[in-house]
Amino acid sequence: MAREFETFARDSAPLLCGHEVVITLRDLSPGRKKYRGLNVRAVVSRPPRPGEATLWIRSVVGNRDPQPCSVRIVEELPEAFEGVPYSDFFEAMQRMEQR
Amino acid sequence: MAHDDFRSFLAAINASGDSLSIDQQIDWDQELSGIGRLSCERNGPAFMFDNIKDYSGWRIATNPIATWRRMAVAFGLPADTHVRQLYDVYAEREQRPIPPVIVKDGPCKEVVIAGDRVDLFDLPVPMVHEGDGGRYLGTWDLVVSKDARSDWVNWGMYRFMIHNERLLTGFPRPTSHLGKMLLDGYVPQKRAMPIAIAIGCDCLSHLAAAATFRIAGNEADLAGGLRGQPVELVKCETSDLYVPASAEIVIEAEVYPDRVNQEGPYGEYPGYRSGEMGNAICARVSAITHRRDPILTLDTTGFMDSSATSTSISGAIAIRRRLEANAVPVTAVYVPPEGGVHMAIVAVRRGGAEVAQKVLNVLTVRRALISKIIVVDEDVDVFNMAAVVHAFATKCHPGRGIHVTRYQGRANTLTPAYDQEERVARSGASVALDATWPPEWPRDGTPVRATLDSMYAPEVQRRVLERWSALGLK
Repeated sequence: MAREFETFARDSAPLLCGHEVVITLRDLSPGRKKYRGLNVRAVVSRPPRPGEATLWIRSVVGNRDPQPCSVRIVEELPEAFEGVPYSDFFEAMQRMEQR
Repeated sequence: MAHDDFRSFLAAINASGDSLSIDQQIDWDQELSGIGRLSCERNGPAFMFDNIKDYSGWRIATNPIATWRRMAVAFGLPADTHVRQLYDVYAEREQRPIPPVIVKDGPCKEVVIAGDRVDLFDLPVPMVHEGDGGRYLGTWDLVVSKDARSDWVNWGMYRFMIHNERLLTGFPRPTSHLGKMLLDGYVPQKRAMPIAIAIGCDCLSHLAAAATFRIAGNEADLAGGLRGQPVELVKCETSDLYVPASAEIVIEAEVYPDRVNQEGPYGEYPGYRSGEMGNAICARVSAITHRRDPILTLDTTGFMDSSATSTSISGAIAIRRRLEANAVPVTAVYVPPEGGVHMAIVAVRRGGAEVAQKVLNVLTVRRALISKIIVVDEDVDVFNMAAVVHAFATKCHPGRGIHVTRYQGRANTLTPAYDQEERVARSGASVALDATWPPEWPRDGTPVRATLDSMYAPEVQRRVLERWSALGLK
């Protein structure tokens, strides 16, 4: 079965730019580790590309965009991003993206 | 007398008819919490799930004190004790704190898993709501942290989400006591802050953790007071923190001073998922200890969950004490659970605009979790919401009776009414709705309420009540 992930975004447009982006994925594979988090550098495509894992994008209130995407993981990143507690997580991902 | 541990409380609510056990297999992925959620919405029982998909040998108990009946049992009182009496009991016991005692060992150490053997996915942590950011471990917990510069030990109830096998993210608000300890004492020194997340302790210890309590106050002392006996504490495996020895599960971790990760969104106690994600803390787990045959406790967070009742009682008492300390002529306070900890009813001996404004100022000076305050005269029963609504609808002047204050940096970011910009800036507003008679109105010109207790002669009232009883009516 093809893998499925989901991610959360304040604005989905930058994810769909066709370039590499930094995102946190939630692995939707069934079993005890469902919803495990994974920080990655990846390319997101819509419409989904054949052979790639399916990606669903959710808003910051958790609503799922009904249009599926696909995701190609380029690189796995460390399990946490640099930033002082309570600093903006989305901005921390952006900083990592620009490195 | 209070219960020694969570299991004796479970036995008591089982005996009072306030819990149900389910031995059919239930999926931890939404199904289990959906049952708990529906129970909150229908004032239903607590549930013990004995057969959880993928997690043989584990059990989950939901919404321990989400009803006043179960709250009463937690206090060691009859299940049908009126909420007014529960408030009185809390206020009385709160005044007699009892420090905890240290013990060498406890049931929470029956199984110890440390270091590389730690795997948070070995715990049956449920997916609480569809669309949450992840699986939430901390929903009905007791999080221990220690001030870096003093002996102050804080217990709080904060949400924590699993990121991977050893990483948690959490949302103790920056204005919370844990947030204050972290930002003032550890982040400037770039030191990791040890925490311990205790799950399934005796209910009054959790109630103390969730309580609105003073800065530098030790909630363990409060828990002892509420219980009428000290809480037994045992030392953690990987830090100098102490946790209730009877806890079902303890997660020991360190909060990073320089790392962040995704946390949320999460369907929270106001009854909404408000998009507050993006600013949280990140902790690495160093050990898990638990009892044999452990029980994970779950509050299916949302409308009328356990935090609604627990904050109703502790929040209302704290509000009353703060108003008294500021010379407000308060006679009673109620925080209705239906208000999602956003509304308080304050009764005063003498009302009017000046008093309403003062109530508002006192309750918004540091943290502003309550954003709607209805001020009523002392003859309105604050626990009778029909009477409160009647007073508000008829006595609050639509122009002169509305008092608003706005603030920056201390708003409740979980308030659904705020937009994303306000949430990020923690800016917001609170309102006092003055449903009292202006004190300058002459008595002869003040309207008289058309109820039995106000518009009938005492002798007639007495006869009516006698006839009422004779008819077998309550």
